Amino acid sequence: MHIAEGYLPPLHAAAWAVASAPFVVHGARAVVQQVRTDPDSKLLLGAAGAFSFVLSALKIPSVTGSCSHPTGTGLGAVLFRPPVMALLGTVVLFFQAVLLAHGGLTTLGANVFSMAVVGPWVAYGTYRLVRRLGGGLGPAVFLAAALGDLATYCVTSVQLALAFPDATSGVGGAVVKFGSIFAITQIPLAVSEGLLTLLVVRLLVRVSPDELRRLGVLPTPPATPTAKEVGA
Amino acid sequence: MLPLDAAAYTNRWRPRHPGEKALLSLGLLVLTLVLPTWPGAALTGGVALVLVLGPAGLPGRALWRAVRVPLGFVVTGMLPLLVSLGGDPWLRWEPAGLPQAAQLAGRATAALLCLLLFAATTPLADLLPRLNRIGVPPAVTEVAALTYRFLFLLLESLRAVREAQAGRLGFRTWRTSYRALSGQGAAVFVRAFDRARRLEQGLASRGYTGSLRVQVAARELSAAFVAATCVLLAAVVVATFLLVPR
Repeated sequence: MHIAEGYLPPLHAAAWAVASAPFVVHGARAVVQQVRTDPDSKLLLGAAGAFSFVLSALKIPSVTGSCSHPTGTGLGAVLFRPPVMALLGTVVLFFQAVLLAHGGLTTLGANVFSMAVVGPWVAYGTYRLVRRLGGGLGPAVFLAAALGDLATYCVTSVQLALAFPDATSGVGGAVVKFGSIFAITQIPLAVSEGLLTLLVVRLLVRVSPDELRRLGVLPTPPATPTAKEVGA
Repeated sequence: MLPLDAAAYTNRWRPRHPGEKALLSLGLLVLTLVLPTWPGAALTGGVALVLVLGPAGLPGRALWRAVRVPLGFVVTGMLPLLVSLGGDPWLRWEPAGLPQAAQLAGRATAALLCLLLFAATTPLADLLPRLNRIGVPPAVTEVAALTYRFLFLLLESLRAVREAQAGRLGFRTWRTSYRALSGQGAAVFVRAFDRARRLEQGLASRGYTGSLRVQVAARELSAAFVAATCVLLAAVVVATFLLVPR
């Protein structure tokens, strides 16, 4: 759901950058603090950033026949928490702009707001809520990833609608217009992303429970911690 | 390797200071956005295209490979402006949106070329350590630099895993595809954290105190290049206002 370079008018681009700045600064502070108390966490954060980047290189088969890629915000938010994701997401979006020409520098603020701020917070909020209501790890992760993805797409629709209001029905009509165009691909994609995230987390619980415990996703040792090689 | 990253290390402007290239390409990028699109975007896009193919020496084929996917997004991004909702009939073709759509496509294409002028000439390994000087905390640039170093290893792992899965007919049905994809996600996670742990041990055995020192190649800021950039940017502004239709 990247908004391409040069797509937003200058005022909008600047406004979205200002809107996401506090979250990114807060995330940067959290990271600086974490690195100061535990210098080793720098390496883990680097690995987490690279993991988030590579997640978006996975190709999900989509109903329309084409392939699409997951945003990875749900999984990232559950594993690394939203404040850290705000910073890691910004780094990843910057890398996607300069390494893949996907997204852009002037639209970085808008993309950060939808994918590194709103998406992770919605995903994490959903995750906490489902866990608190007594839901298992599976449903919590599925809903977190699916709703995080949907929230991202809603925010992007609103951002585009504000920049390009409809000729007859104004901003409201434009939200419906952009929203329904994206809905064709994004609703199945949100479900796919939820499903994929669920499968990844289930696999991770089996193969690397220690890392999940270190990240605070698993509080107690699971019943059968078997180490098994993945990949094939 | 990612094509843009490969270009960043092999182009003729590689030895230039990242600040010079940032001034030029981001200057053009800002002008693309703030100047009137016609002829502003045509000028900035044209200048960026000439610079990236000429002095920077990026092969045309490499440029095409880098722009074709984002250009597809530009085209699909135009479509919503060509339809209108509400009124009668509820959904209809909106010819009045055509100038705005053309303007948007022109601006987005020019901005893309300006971004590429920067991305295809400046390696991130040169850029990231220098971000400290403009106020980014060292912890953040170090995490970003680590991300940059890890991501190629992980992309390579991902490719190997994907090939192995394809060789075993892992993408034959939807069911097996999802199983294979979750395997990819989990494998990348496990490898990322395994790499981090091994790096941690390697650093600890060499007396890691918390700062990652890497050698940053010294680059001289060229006053001539900066001056030429300022002249070029001013010329683009003047030309735009001379050519703007009244």
